[in-house]
Amino acid sequence: MSAAARSILRERKNWLVHELYVRRDFGACLRLIDEQLDASGGLSEYALYVKGMIRRQQGRITESLQLFQAALCLSPRNVRILKQVARSLQLLGKHRNALSVLEQAVVCGASEDWEVHHAKGVCYLFRRDLDDAINAFEEANSCHPHESTYLQLGKAHELKGDLTSALETYMEALESSPDSTELLTTVGLLYMRKRDTDKAFEFLGNSLTHDPRDPKTILAAGSIIQDHRDWEVALSKYRVAAARTPHNPHMWNNIGMCFFGLDKFIASVACLKRAAYLAPFEWIVQYNLGIVHLRTGQNASAFHHLSAAVQLNRRLGNGFHYLAVALGRLGDPDNAISMFERALKLDDGFQLRLNYCISLCNCGRVVEAIEQYHEFVRALEAAAKEDGDDELLTDPDIIIRRDALAKALNIV
Amino acid sequence: MASAEVITGKASASAGSAPVPGVPANVDPVFYAQLKFRRRQYEPCIDICTELLQRNPYDRAVWLLKTRALTEQAYVDDTDLEEQGVADLLMDDNAMAQAPRPGTSINRPGTSSARPGSSLDPSIRPVTASGRPMSGFLRPSTAATAASGTARMRTGSARANSAFRGARAGSARPLTSLGRRVRLGTASMLSQKGGPFIDVQRLDLRKYAKRPQLAKALCDFLLYHDNNPRKAVELAAAATVVMGYSDWFWKSRLAKGYYMIGLMREAERQLRSALGHQPIVECFLELGKVYLRLDQPAAALDAFSRGAEASPSDVSLKLAVARTHELVGEAQLALEAFRRVLHYDASSAEAIASLAAHHFYSDQPEVALKHYRRLLQMGLFSAELWNNLGLSCFHAGQYDMTLTCFDRALSLAGDDAIADVWHNVAQVAVGLGDSALAYQALKVALAADASHAESMINLGVLELRRDRADTARSLFSSAQRLAPHLFEAWFNGALLSYKLGDFQEAYRQVSQALEAYPGHADSLELMKQLRRLFTLT
Repeated sequence: MSAAARSILRERKNWLVHELYVRRDFGACLRLIDEQLDASGGLSEYALYVKGMIRRQQGRITESLQLFQAALCLSPRNVRILKQVARSLQLLGKHRNALSVLEQAVVCGASEDWEVHHAKGVCYLFRRDLDDAINAFEEANSCHPHESTYLQLGKAHELKGDLTSALETYMEALESSPDSTELLTTVGLLYMRKRDTDKAFEFLGNSLTHDPRDPKTILAAGSIIQDHRDWEVALSKYRVAAARTPHNPHMWNNIGMCFFGLDKFIASVACLKRAAYLAPFEWIVQYNLGIVHLRTGQNASAFHHLSAAVQLNRRLGNGFHYLAVALGRLGDPDNAISMFERALKLDDGFQLRLNYCISLCNCGRVVEAIEQYHEFVRALEAAAKEDGDDELLTDPDIIIRRDALAKALNIV
Repeated sequence: MASAEVITGKASASAGSAPVPGVPANVDPVFYAQLKFRRRQYEPCIDICTELLQRNPYDRAVWLLKTRALTEQAYVDDTDLEEQGVADLLMDDNAMAQAPRPGTSINRPGTSSARPGSSLDPSIRPVTASGRPMSGFLRPSTAATAASGTARMRTGSARANSAFRGARAGSARPLTSLGRRVRLGTASMLSQKGGPFIDVQRLDLRKYAKRPQLAKALCDFLLYHDNNPRKAVELAAAATVVMGYSDWFWKSRLAKGYYMIGLMREAERQLRSALGHQPIVECFLELGKVYLRLDQPAAALDAFSRGAEASPSDVSLKLAVARTHELVGEAQLALEAFRRVLHYDASSAEAIASLAAHHFYSDQPEVALKHYRRLLQMGLFSAELWNNLGLSCFHAGQYDMTLTCFDRALSLAGDDAIADVWHNVAQVAVGLGDSALAYQALKVALAADASHAESMINLGVLELRRDRADTARSLFSSAQRLAPHLFEAWFNGALLSYKLGDFQEAYRQVSQALEAYPGHADSLELMKQLRRLFTLT
């Protein structure tokens, strides 16, 4: 038999293999492939390729890599197989080897294939080689724009800390696929990071209209609703998410703070405790627990939670601030003052100055209190100027305290 | 539950006038031996009987007394479910269905136990090595995952390995459920002087069957002391015939013998027939036990509740109902049943401890604290109790009490509990944000028990926070080897591999995590991500 005839014999049933594979009838497909491999002595390229694909989908990457490599031996310059070998290597975490295989693919004439460039970008991303990754992704997009490439490119920009470029990338991607919930949510989250909540809410809401039950989107949207003090609405949103992810500590944290906003302190503490049980390393849960306890006047418990929060996050200015308040209420002025000083080093604000002044005043250190009073007034005015309205200066809560302090310290 | 009725003494036939050692002068030795028996001082009673029997081997009253004393000495309350042996788990010939409907089998608790929000949810309540949620009260129990390996992907050797492992860390499972009894029997035989008291092989059982009093004592002796169910069944069968098939006692003993041999269906028939004569609490309990062994919790519940109708104020039946509900994973029903137990017996340690555990795991540490305090007031004083008190105090926000409770727990803890206590100390330290203390406590826990998988997992997480991925990875993988039932080890390992880009490993581990806990939301999410990566061309 001639070589050509043998090759035809080998490929005679390829159509059936393909048919079974795209029908996802993997059992029958594998049986057929094994028959064919037996008949051809392991020389049937397409059968090897499809078997590799099936094995990968069954989660057996190492085996699929071996199959692809066997197929590659049969036709060493086949770009399609090279791509799969690279992908298997990438899935196994061998990014350097994957990159060299991809280079080979480019040499074999795949320089116009977006998949190759995309895969290269992903490998560079895993190696934290961000500039190369960005270049590769842009190359891939110039060949053929694709949603997953945009997402990865955006991620690379985010990792680099360049939020504006990331946002531009995502917006560009949205033009081609405007109803991708993943993209919409990602953009929304990015706007949240840029503290543009209105825009963020717009995108998250858009995402929710496509998939109203996605827990991640609900959590993000809920937190924005919470920022607007719309507690009931946020709670109803979380109720939907809780059915899908009942053990999400961040969601429990947010639910707890919703109850706090509604002045239901026991429910709030219960939810926050559950969040702390599920995620003991989250400083924000401990911080919130501290705040709730401060509000209910349980200063010792507040102290414990706040100290845990600042232990977990050493740069938490507000944590030190409220820790100092708790210490002041517990009657430990020396430590309270040192905590205030520490909080001042991390960040400054009129609330901090106000509380500092009150604590000093309470323990009778008038000279320092007067100094802090002036600092407070200055910080308050600065904050009002920054916001551009006089709401802060007329806030009754602040005015009452300022006047009381002025009276106590004999400042006119 | 002592069995045969007490035979009041016919002491007249006692032997000669020589004083028996250990008996005061001018006191009839048989009377004295009976006194000792009633005071549960079996050792002196047996000594006196042995002496008397040497003088007169045909004294039936003394023979009966000695038989009863020996039985009482070796008596175990076997109305609770005992631990299943390896042989029973691997070669289960009583299995009814390969894939029972959810909620109708102990081996596959089904969806109800994993229901989010229930206090038996594995992501809230830890799981024991048997694959069941940790109960509030330590009791021998069947294995969930090992036995249900039939329908799972487990390979033969993995299944055998998990069957050999005991329900508690560091303990092994007995080979057969009878195995433990046989060993106890031989050990007690050795201590006897001059060979066995009754040579069972030479007894003419049919002759004894005609003398009901002697036969009842002999039957219990065979069951509890000699652990010879075959002979006991023979005797009981003969006696049933003599009594005209109308005595519940012999039928229940027949059932007990069949149960020990492993003939569950026969045992069930005998017990049902015995209950037809007279509703006896013990028989209801035994019947339920047989059904549980047959993996028919609904039938067991039915038996228990019929028993509860017949004797409404009996606590043991109510406890059995509660336990069965817990085994099937019906937290709410179990809770109500335990409450009913407390209604009749306000100091049932099992009910209080179970309720406390339930409240602790459903975010009510204050209520749990109350229950544990009650246990303390009842006079319980153990490392486990102090440990639970400490944890409840911590979660209830009473920080000052927490550490003193743990101090006491540490000073009381033996080798099997100390690692758990240190593990909890670490948990508290994490809660206080003191990760250095947590790290050290976990190290101590591992030093105390090198196979404490929970500590390994937590130490791994702490190592990850210190950016030592390799150490963490090796800790996770040893925890996976030691405790394949803990989904945390698998999930943490999978997540680490996923972040490092090794998707093959991640896939393998997350599949294991899902086998240990099919409803884990985060594992499912990770699985989805991996699947997507694999199917993308």
